[in-house]
Amino acid sequence: MLFELANEDLGYDGDAVLHGISIGISKGERVALVGESGAGKSTLLSVLQDRYGGNTALIPQQAGLVRSLSVFHNVYMGSLHRHGAAYNLLNLAWPQKAEVARVRPIVERLGLGDKLFVPTGELSGGQQQRTAIARAILQGGDAVLGDEPVSAADNHQSRVILAALSETFTTVVLAMHDVDLALEFSTRIVGIKDGGIALDAPAAELTRSGLDFLYRK
Amino acid sequence: MNRLKHLVFGAALAFSAMGLPAQQVLAETFVFTAIPDENEARLRERFDKVAVYLTKTLGVETKYIPVKSYAAAVTAFRNNQVQLGWFGGLSGVRARHLVPGSEAIAQGFEDQAFETYFIVHASTGLKPSADFPAAIAGKTFTFGSKGSTSGRLMPEYYVRQNFKAAPNRIFTKVGFSGNHSKTIALVQSGAYQVGAVNFKVWENELKAGKIDPKKVSVVWKTPPYPDYQWTIRGDVETRWKAGFKAKVREALLNMKDPDLLASFPRKSFIPASNSDYKPILDVAKLIDLIS
Amino acid sequence: MSSPQALSANLRRGYSPVVKTSLIFVAVAAVCLFFADISITTLDPWSEMGRMAQGVLAPDFTAVAGIGMIIVQTIAFALCGVALGAVGGFLLAQIFHIGPVRWTCAAVRAIHELFWALIFLQMLGLTPLTGVLAIAIPYAGICAKVYAETLEEAELPALPALPFGTGIISSFFFARLPDVWVHIKNYTAYRFECGLRSSAVLGFVGLPTLGFYLETAFGEGNYSEAAALLIIFYVLIATLRLWMRPKLIGLYVLVAPFLLGGGAAIDMRNIARFLTVDIVPAPLRNGSLGAGKTWSNLADWAGMLLFDQALPGMVATLLLSQIALVATGILALALFPLISEKFFGRLPRLLGHVFLVVLRSTPEFILAYIFLQLWGPSMLPAIVALALHNGAIIGHLVGRFSDQVRLRPDSPRGLNLYGFEILPRIYGQFLAFLFYRWEVIMRETAILGILGIATLGFYVDSSLADIRLDRVMFLIAIMVIFNVAVDALSRHIRSRLRLSTQTGQA
Repeated sequence: MLFELANEDLGYDGDAVLHGISIGISKGERVALVGESGAGKSTLLSVLQDRYGGNTALIPQQAGLVRSLSVFHNVYMGSLHRHGAAYNLLNLAWPQKAEVARVRPIVERLGLGDKLFVPTGELSGGQQQRTAIARAILQGGDAVLGDEPVSAADNHQSRVILAALSETFTTVVLAMHDVDLALEFSTRIVGIKDGGIALDAPAAELTRSGLDFLYRK
Repeated sequence: MNRLKHLVFGAALAFSAMGLPAQQVLAETFVFTAIPDENEARLRERFDKVAVYLTKTLGVETKYIPVKSYAAAVTAFRNNQVQLGWFGGLSGVRARHLVPGSEAIAQGFEDQAFETYFIVHASTGLKPSADFPAAIAGKTFTFGSKGSTSGRLMPEYYVRQNFKAAPNRIFTKVGFSGNHSKTIALVQSGAYQVGAVNFKVWENELKAGKIDPKKVSVVWKTPPYPDYQWTIRGDVETRWKAGFKAKVREALLNMKDPDLLASFPRKSFIPASNSDYKPILDVAKLIDLIS
Repeated sequence: MSSPQALSANLRRGYSPVVKTSLIFVAVAAVCLFFADISITTLDPWSEMGRMAQGVLAPDFTAVAGIGMIIVQTIAFALCGVALGAVGGFLLAQIFHIGPVRWTCAAVRAIHELFWALIFLQMLGLTPLTGVLAIAIPYAGICAKVYAETLEEAELPALPALPFGTGIISSFFFARLPDVWVHIKNYTAYRFECGLRSSAVLGFVGLPTLGFYLETAFGEGNYSEAAALLIIFYVLIATLRLWMRPKLIGLYVLVAPFLLGGGAAIDMRNIARFLTVDIVPAPLRNGSLGAGKTWSNLADWAGMLLFDQALPGMVATLLLSQIALVATGILALALFPLISEKFFGRLPRLLGHVFLVVLRSTPEFILAYIFLQLWGPSMLPAIVALALHNGAIIGHLVGRFSDQVRLRPDSPRGLNLYGFEILPRIYGQFLAFLFYRWEVIMRETAILGILGIATLGFYVDSSLADIRLDRVMFLIAIMVIFNVAVDALSRHIRSRLRLSTQTGQA
């Protein structure tokens, strides 16, 4: 098991949002978390990140970028742990060829090739989101945890992004609002409702209408 | 990104700047200063000439540095950043008190019997008198610099002696003009009704036509006391050579250029010793300016 | 100004806390005014003022030998001092949460640059380092506080997304600093402008900056020369943005240390003597520590300083600064429309800007010095100087703020616009700026004592003239406590009235 929670109450500052959560995610799974906004998907993701952050990349909901830094720098942040402080600072001031060469193909694949040295504060919401994804891809690792990573992308882009993520990471856990996309992309769907896990099944066994109950009052 | 480049750069530069030895050490230059008792331009002109004279006579590069206060002159002497000072009676006593081994080596001929003039604005209606003018009580009064002998120490001494009280109890307002030229200007303008001024500066400015006798005049002259002198540090003997002190003294005593002497203004320079200034030290202790 | 009775009647009628506080301050200032000496003592101030005006109208740029070098050195001291202060402040900001660091910074910035210069003159003499440290040390204390607050308030969205195992240095420079960098940069640029003023003033104690020559020129009545020096200084500050290019800062900072001029060598023995002998209270230095007499002498010594010097000095400082504070406020409210879009067109606003730049670029110390020459010694020159300088600064900030006010299309004009539409909307912001400035006014008031006004600085200067450094340090320590207390009071009032400013530049 890569991630495992057994009958736990999850929430911020002792204020539990989710109750009695038991879930195990093993290597190689592609999990989509679905449910109404505010159901607790983000809570679950952040708990997993806290517990198992060691070799896991994170794509936060608001992209989590440094707006005054360029796309290159924001993506490069995914590799800060691989280098010493001096080399990192060197790249902050003067991006090194080797690092640009590492970052560029990832960024190009996500359609940001012409924005490499543009401050992320000047980008659209979707472009910022893809910058955060590029950062996670450069970071790599066993797994990626993504909080609505394709919320601002169109259908085509979403597929490019999801393909890129599943190529890089053997295990993918994403909160998603687009149910069709979730069914298409993931191997397993976890539905959250009323402070608990209301559904946990292989994607192949589910249909779109079978998920509707998650969004009903 | 560019901005951060400047940050990294700037920080590195600022650190390197810290370690920079920005001072050029003028190890072998003999440096002197003088208390700023008059207008700076005049002092600079006078002492730059003295520096040229000493450089020639001593055969050692000599330089004058101007300072902004009496205390700064004494501090520079104490910290060995100047080795020779043209001090007043009080500042000289202070300097020698703070630097053991230092010595008064020469004074102006007139400094054996120096005087302070009490001057008044015409609106006071006060007339010159031989006795201490008790009528100055209740007026506004300005000293010169806080550290001056003729502008502070001696006048304060006579005020205390005659009124048996501190100046701020006698006068409605007590000020410190900063130097003698300013004291004259302030009393002449009426900013203060009474002032205490170095008699040499008074006579010099009178001669130069800077004083309007209709507006300001002398009411009383103090009894004579010793004042200005050249004081030298004891360790110049090791820093230059043995006998250097005597050489400096000789050079000062042999200063004969009438223009140079007139700029002080002094008739000539004569030998002096620390003991000549015992009366000044006693008065300073009496009114608690030296403890 | 209304009578105290009228004021207290108003207070009872339940005004808003903001208005109440304002009225209390005005009432306190009115009472202070009653005790303060604000006479003009020169019999004919107008003739001197006329000569000064002539000088201003006919500035003599050729009179000052090496005028360029004076300016260059003034900038060099400011650059070195502010660069060191900013870097030091930046490092301190990282550990600002530690109590003693915070207290030290508060104490360090409560001491005016001129006092720092006077202290370092004792240890280092007239050397460039004296001037640089005199600026760098208090500025480090100020910058540490502002930087720390900025860093603390920053949202740091990228921090949680950093890979596990990222070092603190890397995460600081990538994910923490860039978000606050613009604010820090702007604040540091503002500090540099302050540094130029501080550098200019340091000339008054003998460093080779603008003040040195200004004092000579004013003292000797060479007003044409003084005017030339001041005009160059104004142009320098007004064009700061043109020559202080981000790309050139590195070069400037690199070159500046070499332009500070020479000086005597620094002798470690002088530093050691200052720290171990000079500042030890005289009774302890001269007596044996075992003797009871020594300790009773020490008590007498401290009592004498406290009651004969510190207390009267504090009373005068308080009187003067309270009057100056209210005068500053009134002036700021009168001046801000000059640069506000709501009141004037482009050209009059430009003139207004020039006027305010001149007033706020002239350090209070220099203004007070000029007015002292004109009007003779009393509190008046100090009050006017403080009010003009600080009033122009706050007027500038309030004016800019007033441009953000949105008016309805049928809003009134002229005085009605001022009284009914603008004033109520800017008043809270105005008070916040004013209270931020309170501590600064207090510190400046103390330093004006050096010019002969009997505030705390006067007694410090007197002890310095007697080379009694133990007394100097004792009085400065009291001044620190006094200043920190005022700062705390100002913070308390601001938080009670819920006033805040975004700029922190007041």
